[in-house]
Amino acid sequence: MDQDDIEMEIDGEDSLDIHVVTPGEVVTRDSAFMRGHGTYTEDETLVASLAGVVDRVNKLISIKPLRTRYNGEIGDVVVGRITEVAQKRWKVDMNARQDGVLLLSSVNLPGGVQRRKNESDELQMRTFFAEGDMLSAEVQAFFQDGAASLHTRSIKYGKLRNGSLVTVPSALIKRTKSHFVTLPCGVDVILGLNGYIWVAKHVPISPEQANQPDALYHNDNEPIADQEREIIARVSNTILALAKHNNFINDTMIVYAYEAGSSHRVKDILKPDISQEIVQTARAQFQEAQQH
Amino acid sequence: MLKNKAFVRKTKRGTVIKVVKEHYLRDDIYCEVATCTKCPSSLNAVTTPSTTKLVPSPHHIVPDTNVLYHQIDVLEHAAFTDVIILQTVLQELKHRSNAVYARARTMISDPKRRFIVFCNEHHRDTYVERRADESPNDRNDRAIRTAVAWYNMHLDGKPQAVLITDDADNRRKAEVDKIPAYSTQQYVASMQGHPDLVDMIAAVEDSNIAAEERFAYPEHLSNSQIAAGIRSGAFFQGKLSISQNNYLEGSVFAQVDKEERTVMIIGRKDLNRGIHGDIVALQMLPESQWKRPVGVILEEEQIEGQKDEDEEEKAEESKMDVENGAANETVPTAKIVGIIKRNWRPFCGTIEKASVSSAASGLTSQQSVFFWAMDKKIPKIRIRTRQAENLVGRRIIVAIDGWVRNSLFPSGHFVRTLGEVGDRATETEVVLLEHDVPFAPFSSSVLSFLPAEGEDWIVQPEHLAGRIDFRHLDVCSIDPPGCTDIDDALHCRQLPNGNLEVGVHIADVSHFVKPENAMDMEARRRGTTVYLVNKRIDMLPSLLGTNLCSLRSNVDRLAFSCIWEMKPDATVVNVKYTKSVIRSKASLTYDEAQMRLDDSKLNDPVTQGIKALNQLAKKLRANRMEAGALTLASPEVRFKLEEDQQDPVDVELKELKDTNALVEEFMLLANIWVAKKVYEAFPESSMLRRHPKPPAANFESLQKAVGELGITLDVTTSRALADSLNNATTTDPYINKLIRILTTRCMMQAVYFCSGTVPESDFWHYGLATNIYTHFTSPIRRYSDLVVHRLLSVAIGYEKAYTSDLVSKEKLSELSDVLNYRHRMAQQASRSSVELFTNMFFKEKLLQEDAYVIRVLKNGFSVLIPRYGIEGYVYASLNDSKDSSEPSPFVYDGEKNRLIAGTVEIKLFAKCSVCVFVEEAGGAARRSKLVVRLCEPWVPGVSVRLDDIRVAREQDQLEEKSGKVVKKAKRV
Amino acid sequence: MAARLEIVSPEGLRVDGRRPAEVRRVLTRTGVLSQADGSAYIEQGNTKCLAAVYGPREPVKRAGVLHDRATINVEYNVSSFSSGERRAKLRRDRKLLEIGLMIKQTFETVVATTSFPRSEIDIYLQILQTDGGAVHTAINAATLALIDAGIPMTDYVCACSAGFVNDQAILDLNFLEESADVPTLTVALLPKSGKISMLGLESRLHIDKLEPVIALASDGCMQMKDTLDEAIRISTRNLAKTVLH
Repeated sequence: MDQDDIEMEIDGEDSLDIHVVTPGEVVTRDSAFMRGHGTYTEDETLVASLAGVVDRVNKLISIKPLRTRYNGEIGDVVVGRITEVAQKRWKVDMNARQDGVLLLSSVNLPGGVQRRKNESDELQMRTFFAEGDMLSAEVQAFFQDGAASLHTRSIKYGKLRNGSLVTVPSALIKRTKSHFVTLPCGVDVILGLNGYIWVAKHVPISPEQANQPDALYHNDNEPIADQEREIIARVSNTILALAKHNNFINDTMIVYAYEAGSSHRVKDILKPDISQEIVQTARAQFQEAQQH
Repeated sequence: MLKNKAFVRKTKRGTVIKVVKEHYLRDDIYCEVATCTKCPSSLNAVTTPSTTKLVPSPHHIVPDTNVLYHQIDVLEHAAFTDVIILQTVLQELKHRSNAVYARARTMISDPKRRFIVFCNEHHRDTYVERRADESPNDRNDRAIRTAVAWYNMHLDGKPQAVLITDDADNRRKAEVDKIPAYSTQQYVASMQGHPDLVDMIAAVEDSNIAAEERFAYPEHLSNSQIAAGIRSGAFFQGKLSISQNNYLEGSVFAQVDKEERTVMIIGRKDLNRGIHGDIVALQMLPESQWKRPVGVILEEEQIEGQKDEDEEEKAEESKMDVENGAANETVPTAKIVGIIKRNWRPFCGTIEKASVSSAASGLTSQQSVFFWAMDKKIPKIRIRTRQAENLVGRRIIVAIDGWVRNSLFPSGHFVRTLGEVGDRATETEVVLLEHDVPFAPFSSSVLSFLPAEGEDWIVQPEHLAGRIDFRHLDVCSIDPPGCTDIDDALHCRQLPNGNLEVGVHIADVSHFVKPENAMDMEARRRGTTVYLVNKRIDMLPSLLGTNLCSLRSNVDRLAFSCIWEMKPDATVVNVKYTKSVIRSKASLTYDEAQMRLDDSKLNDPVTQGIKALNQLAKKLRANRMEAGALTLASPEVRFKLEEDQQDPVDVELKELKDTNALVEEFMLLANIWVAKKVYEAFPESSMLRRHPKPPAANFESLQKAVGELGITLDVTTSRALADSLNNATTTDPYINKLIRILTTRCMMQAVYFCSGTVPESDFWHYGLATNIYTHFTSPIRRYSDLVVHRLLSVAIGYEKAYTSDLVSKEKLSELSDVLNYRHRMAQQASRSSVELFTNMFFKEKLLQEDAYVIRVLKNGFSVLIPRYGIEGYVYASLNDSKDSSEPSPFVYDGEKNRLIAGTVEIKLFAKCSVCVFVEEAGGAARRSKLVVRLCEPWVPGVSVRLDDIRVAREQDQLEEKSGKVVKKAKRV
Repeated sequence: MAARLEIVSPEGLRVDGRRPAEVRRVLTRTGVLSQADGSAYIEQGNTKCLAAVYGPREPVKRAGVLHDRATINVEYNVSSFSSGERRAKLRRDRKLLEIGLMIKQTFETVVATTSFPRSEIDIYLQILQTDGGAVHTAINAATLALIDAGIPMTDYVCACSAGFVNDQAILDLNFLEESADVPTLTVALLPKSGKISMLGLESRLHIDKLEPVIALASDGCMQMKDTLDEAIRISTRNLAKTVLH
């Protein structure tokens, strides 16, 4: 490859403006650019270390891989699972290169938002989050070694109940205004940017409930009717169908796909031909909406 | 394009596995026909299409597998050029016979012949897939037809491709596809200018022999039946070896009932068409049918072909019956039930004169004649020829084609004529061919590995790297007169500390012959230089052997040296092995060296060296004798040839001088020390030489015989044997030598082996009484030495890069077997050559000589004539046992192993007088034969007087002459 | 001599119809496993290998954690049904462990492990069918799977084997050729710099012949790089179409 700048290649087929590079390929020899993720410099040239699409923001060049582990950013909404309860902290599996850390000081405890944590809290950490519990959280900061520090200090974060987890490649989740969505079909979806998606029954929480000590951390599900269960399953499978075809996932896409698949039985949605049909219909609909 | 070839294969362990192999089809395989415009031109293309009466249009022939396999002799004829060989055919051929495949490859690689190979199996248009209902053979036939059809389409018939196949069905199918196809017979018959080719066509589907329904061999079992029989233990297999003395008696050394033993096969029926060297399947006969080996020498020649075959058969059988009747001791006997692998080679020999019917003269008609191979182990072979009369009295080569059940003898075809019987060059070639000695001139690819400078090659400064410069030393070589390939040179000098430095310098052949190149391969194939009386068949091209490697005087030469520091009492203080450069100061003959030794006035450095070496050699020799080395003897003679290497004019016994012993002593020393070093470096993969201790049983009869002379032979150790040989003296000094000669014959053969394959305790060299030995000192004429050179140069760190083949145990032990075989063959060839020249020497001569009896059999005895070092067999009745009506005056005493006639006793070591003359080769004679008759002691009916014979011969000659005159008169 | 199998016929064709310097047919696919972070399937002739990459992720075992970079684990496995004759599998076959270690060391030089302290990258290589050159096929598969997993690497690692027979070097040996006692050299190379990152030779080869064999193997590696690169470009482009828009 001897093109030495980042002139966009014109893709003959569908004229997508993407510049694909592979590891070891020189991205640019112009030293004015700064190297971002997925690149390294060698002999004053900027070389890709990933296969992906060149992403240029002003003078910063980075390579965006299309399949990779979750690489968190501060402010990201993630869904995770507790893997370990440790000294004043929980370890959270969040599909990243290391488990995230949720400090005891970064959670809201029952009995007042600004309450000081005391020793008894440390001793009963497991009553708040135990191993295997699901939670939603936000990336607060990063430690030296790259591990993410999470917090749940908001009413919208915390323990997850009444639903099921869907795992998709993290690259498929688009960054949107809100990752907490209530679909028209009456199901709550939390689109964790780490590729973990929580699909649950919609349970409205009143502010007074939130202050009740048990409300935050209790482990009991609401009664869920069979019909509600089916809808949750349908949404889950719809998301999986999108992931199967490497399609990006956001609330609109889920809605379109949900509608496209509404005529099929839940268990049929993941069948190869049906899932393809659903995804194609949804994509067409999405593109049409974009053009308007 | 890719095809996957999948097939099912059965493993050795009997499990069935599926094998899938990739098979790529290409579009870059070209037709290689010079006139083709579609394909890129190729260097080795067929250029000259042939035309024949049968196929008048220009064409190239495409033989099928069977044609190539059976008719290779025909195709090798120079008349065939521009032939297209298909890959399918080559692959099938290789599967069938590696030897024929190699011959086909030789033809293909000859640029003059313009044979091309078309890789039809990988060509996308000519590849055919096997159909479900098709046998592999049918598929291959179809592939061949497809390829021929492709050629005709590709070239549009200009020139044509013509299929040659002897399979009628294949021809029929070809006809359907409009492919021109003919049989070999059809095609060759129509070729112009080569009438002799028709003789060479192998009789594959010859039906003419079927007429003889009178005799039929038992049917051979099929391969699967044999395999099943061997597995169940009902049969066993082994390599058939036919007795040298009787072609109807064979033996097999095989594993029978978990025991290795020799089993006899006696008689035509039981041999069942087995030919010497074949791998056969055998079945043991019940003990009641076991026979006794015939203790006579049966010379087929004496049963001349005048008789009807049937009679001949009866005569033989009756003779055997007589022997069997006298049987008192039977041996395990078996019969051949099938042939696992034929091991036929082309045979040299002559046409049986009597079988040629002169009536049917006229060159064009073919007739069946019989052919006798020189090798007495081979039955006569029936061949069909048009030139029978021309072939009588000539040495020809014949190949066996087959042996059908109802034919008494195998059938074969004529390959080529060597020359007149008795002609020196012809007979020498026969000797070489019969002993499988490769004697063709070195090919150009071999010669291409010679140094480019040729004779002008000199030692350059860069050669000195890693070598020690010994050019200042007073090195000299001592060899027989006329020796041109000087392998070794010696030096000896006084060291300041009173010790002596002795150096043995060996020609550094490994510098010139690099492993795995064509020259190396050829040398490995030859294994050794073969010395005939009048000729030398070199292992290496003579530029190396007699010039660049030869350590001639006053030129710089590369050497591999072995340097010892010795105390004056010949004990070794220190040893060093190194590559070196030397400059020999003198090339001496044994006699010249001896003269220097004997001349006390000479005092130059070279002579001083020789004298010092001689002192050391004597001590070394004494030490060796102390250890039990044997001094053996052979009755070898040397022929004095006329100047132009023509006829032998005189014989002289080989004589040993001090200087011979001197050189021998240091060569032994070098070999032993090198063996130690190499073995130390490569305990698993050294090439060594061992001489096993002969089993005591070998000596039994000799011990018994010498016992009568009041001599005891102690054979418990080599030391004891050496001592008892030294003490074995009688009034006749020759007896001692005779005993030594006979002792030598009881010995085992010394062999090369790979150190990893034999336990260390068996490294023992019996004759030299050393516990390790190898050959290092003659790399010009022995390949084993070259291998040892390579190993040693790695061992001393001179050669840093070497291939795994050099140190692979399997490769080396394989190589040892080949070299052992080559050595044996070379020895036998030398012996045959001596025999040949002995006969030539005795031609026209009639001599009476003293002789000693060395072997006593029932119908005669062997004698050794010391004057000429020859052995002959004296029949116990005058008429060569041909006429059994006249009983022999001798009675055989088996107990005491002697023949008694009245007061005359023929026993071992008895001295007698014999007359020697040559009987000219008769019609069926393999070779003119030396006849030995008893003169004294006088036994009526056996002994002859010299004068009587002379008179008889003269009469014969007269008669013959007059006979010729009569014949001539008739013709006139 | 003649009794041996003719690896290269005098006409210059190998047993399977290739010429000495030709590689076998190569077929690749990436992203074949949904559970793994990256995966690839590759066929080189009839040698088939499946590779799965997990990570970088939280180490399963604390013991192997490095504080400044990620650890790479390679598990190389040959299926018992991969060869013509079914072999009973040894649980911890030393030979397989050794090859795994060799591959691990090869990739440690190119994977940017320092970007992922305290994590691990697991590479699982499964040979599904063998027809010679299993190791180099596995290395190529691992390269593809690592790229598919979006793990930063300074360069591709491309591997190929070459042997030496009848005075000439031959490329990409199949099982028949390997088992015919042909010295076989496996080379893994970084195509960008041309640096050789692994060299494996298990039988003796004359030192004079080493250079041409390495040269041919390197040439084979460059051919592999082109094949792999094309495969990656196509799959990346296809992903980009659906993931980004």
